[in-house]
Amino acid sequence: MNRDVILNKLLTVFRDVFEDDELKISAATKSADVEGWDSLRHVSLMLNVEQAFGVKFTSSQVASLKNVGELIELVESRLASKSGEGRAR
Amino acid sequence: MKGVLHHASIIVPDEERVHELAELFGLDLGRRKFVQEYEADCIFTAGRGAGIEFIIAKAGKLSKFNKGMGGLHHIAIAVPDLESAKVELAKKGIPLLETAPVDAGPIHINFVAPAYTRGVIVEYVQQVEPRPESPEIQPPVSASTDTGLTGGNDTSRRSEQQIFKEARTLRSRGQADQAALLLRDAVRRGWLSPEGVEKVGRHVSGYLKDSASKCLEVLVLGQCTTNWVSTCLVASAWGGATAVQTTDGQYDNVLQELIAAVDSGRRYDVVVLLPWNQRLLASGRGEERARLDEEVAFWQRAWQIVTVRMSARLIQVGYDWISPGPFGHHLAGQAEGPVHLVRQMNERLRGELPPSAFFVDLEQASGLMGRERFYDSRRYFWTKQPFSEPGAARLAEYIWVGIRVIIIGLKKVLVLDLDNTLWGGVVGETGPMGVEIGETAAGEAFKAFQEYLKQLTSRGCLLAVSSKNNPEDAREPFEKNPALPLKLGDFAAFEASWDPKSVAIQRMARTLQLGLDSFVFFDDNPAEREHIRQTLPEVVVVEVPEEPAQYVQALEAGQWFEAVGITAEDRERTEQYRAEAQRREVQNSFATMEEYLASLNMLGDVRTIDDADLPRVVQLLGKTNQFNLTTRRHGLEAVREMLAHPRSIGLTVRIADRFADYGLVAVLLGVEAPGRDVPILLVDTWLMSCRVIGRTVEEFCLNSLMAAAVAKGYQRIEGQYIPTKKNALVAELYDRLGFKRTKEDSESGVTYERDVSDAAPSSTLVARRT
Repeated sequence: MNRDVILNKLLTVFRDVFEDDELKISAATKSADVEGWDSLRHVSLMLNVEQAFGVKFTSSQVASLKNVGELIELVESRLASKSGEGRAR
Repeated sequence: MKGVLHHASIIVPDEERVHELAELFGLDLGRRKFVQEYEADCIFTAGRGAGIEFIIAKAGKLSKFNKGMGGLHHIAIAVPDLESAKVELAKKGIPLLETAPVDAGPIHINFVAPAYTRGVIVEYVQQVEPRPESPEIQPPVSASTDTGLTGGNDTSRRSEQQIFKEARTLRSRGQADQAALLLRDAVRRGWLSPEGVEKVGRHVSGYLKDSASKCLEVLVLGQCTTNWVSTCLVASAWGGATAVQTTDGQYDNVLQELIAAVDSGRRYDVVVLLPWNQRLLASGRGEERARLDEEVAFWQRAWQIVTVRMSARLIQVGYDWISPGPFGHHLAGQAEGPVHLVRQMNERLRGELPPSAFFVDLEQASGLMGRERFYDSRRYFWTKQPFSEPGAARLAEYIWVGIRVIIIGLKKVLVLDLDNTLWGGVVGETGPMGVEIGETAAGEAFKAFQEYLKQLTSRGCLLAVSSKNNPEDAREPFEKNPALPLKLGDFAAFEASWDPKSVAIQRMARTLQLGLDSFVFFDDNPAEREHIRQTLPEVVVVEVPEEPAQYVQALEAGQWFEAVGITAEDRERTEQYRAEAQRREVQNSFATMEEYLASLNMLGDVRTIDDADLPRVVQLLGKTNQFNLTTRRHGLEAVREMLAHPRSIGLTVRIADRFADYGLVAVLLGVEAPGRDVPILLVDTWLMSCRVIGRTVEEFCLNSLMAAAVAKGYQRIEGQYIPTKKNALVAELYDRLGFKRTKEDSESGVTYERDVSDAAPSSTLVARRT
């Protein structure tokens, strides 16, 4: 899954969580740029992203994200380690 | 609605019989078609006028029609327009089986179940193309061979995503009210995931803020983060047609938040206190006993502030454990173990809680769902909120039930269908001894459901039957079949007729003298449920599963008959309502009302409210809606404080007659009006049970109050009528009792007064018990 695909899929999750069909995000988007993205909603967002991509984040990964770009990287690396596991099996 | 006969359908066993009958009728055969869904060949007669459709059912349910012998199955009526036929039928309470007409080639069709036509399956037909010589018509899509409607008709159900999309579209068009109603419907029907419920909560909070509606103000304070729970609470309440706004406090800062709330002067109707176990279970805090005492003392301080200084109603959530922890499951449940500590703590809380408060048993709630699902350790460490999304939504439901019980009141009547609800099968076909109860798996499930219902009646819930059946057929199983746990005497009302169920329920409401919002409807038939939802929105409609083994669970899920406490009077209630129904029959045989009332030999027992009466008094304050002049929902502490004053008067009235003992039926609370030149008694509260209305008990109450007022040296009584949606019944009570109107305004209603001195006692047929 390349970054554009991930971003696109993330956009669907963001629009759903923040309930805004017009919401636009890019790699540079920070929590301050999105209305309602507070620490509690952040947790909902993470849980929804996990669900959408079928991955799990750790507590420290969730806490350290600075922007959407980092979230894309995180998803990418979790997907990679997931498929790695798949090959190992 | 004008129609013409389009065709009649006959189910036959084989093609030979088709030719036989066609020859007998002198009709030519025309086109034929195999309909896959029904595994049936359909052969139409040709020629002018109404035709005959022969259905050769090879397998499937049509082949079982009339025990496999076939015969006349349905008639089809052609109407100019199916849509207007639908509207016209709906006015008569008759639903069409399909939500949208079925496209059957040159015609569109829809069906009426035989329950509405006393045994005839009717197909409505709208010609959309010129009629061919031999129309091809599918056999009835949902017409089963029994007299009931068939189930599973939930085509209006939309996905969660669709629902939210639609809500957003409505809002963007400025139709916020419609969006909110759409979401309410989705919550009410249980269509949403826990995440969806939380989302509805956010939507509705915003909507209520924007629309500046009057809301029930709820303060939620926890030893953990409460935001998700409180958002779900808004959604649950909205599903129950109640506007709730929540305010959350800082995490684990309960007492300080409470004091701040007092200082801010902001009014809260309800305070929810949500403990979490980190302090109770922390290591190194001494032995069990001391920990418990300390923790209980903490909550007692909180209760004091909530009930006395804030005059708010209290919902106290209990403690819970997630896992046995390092003790292991064997030791955790023994003294000093965490599970033991939590259970002891809950017992202490329950025992010492102010009686008018509601206790949400978290240990029960999480156990029912399963702790592994109810809690989510990641969320606890990420946000100090231990509940998973399903757990938070479930807890919010429990809290909402508590608020509903103490603020809005109880549901009182459970209306039940008979066939395939209380037993398996259709009594009109099987006879009273043939209904499925016990013995088979499904029969055992129906029996267990009946036993559950029987226990509900001893909890003060009234059972009623609304069935589309011949009255004799419907009653017979209860009279003749000993396998049925329920007997006719368990029902406060029994409506078996062919009237629409909405009509039957309205009739019950009049007979039982209860508002429609006291009714809960349980029927296995989705069409009937939809009919009640649309015609009587006040009535709660339970989503009944297809599987009878899950009936009890489905009924319990709504917690409709949850109560603060069971009083002895609750148990007597069924008996009393039944007595009232009998009395109404007697009533017809008396020449005048007075004669009738005199024949009742009513005795009234007036007492000053004491501690033993307080729980029942507070219960009545909480739930009486109709005969309630001021609708002040005082809690126990407030009443006790009011009555502690030597000038106050608090009376209870108990009524008995030759039919029944009604127990405590009226409460009167009076306080001295401040700053007047003569002593004036202000009637703070006057409420009475509707069961004794119109029997001169009102006059008896007033006389009793007058006597008490004279004894305390009062010269005048001042009364007040504060109108609500439900108490129009007593709008002119004081006028009728000889009071003068002194003030009227829209806020405080009407104020009345009457001198004690010039008051001749009002005429009453209630004798004072001495």
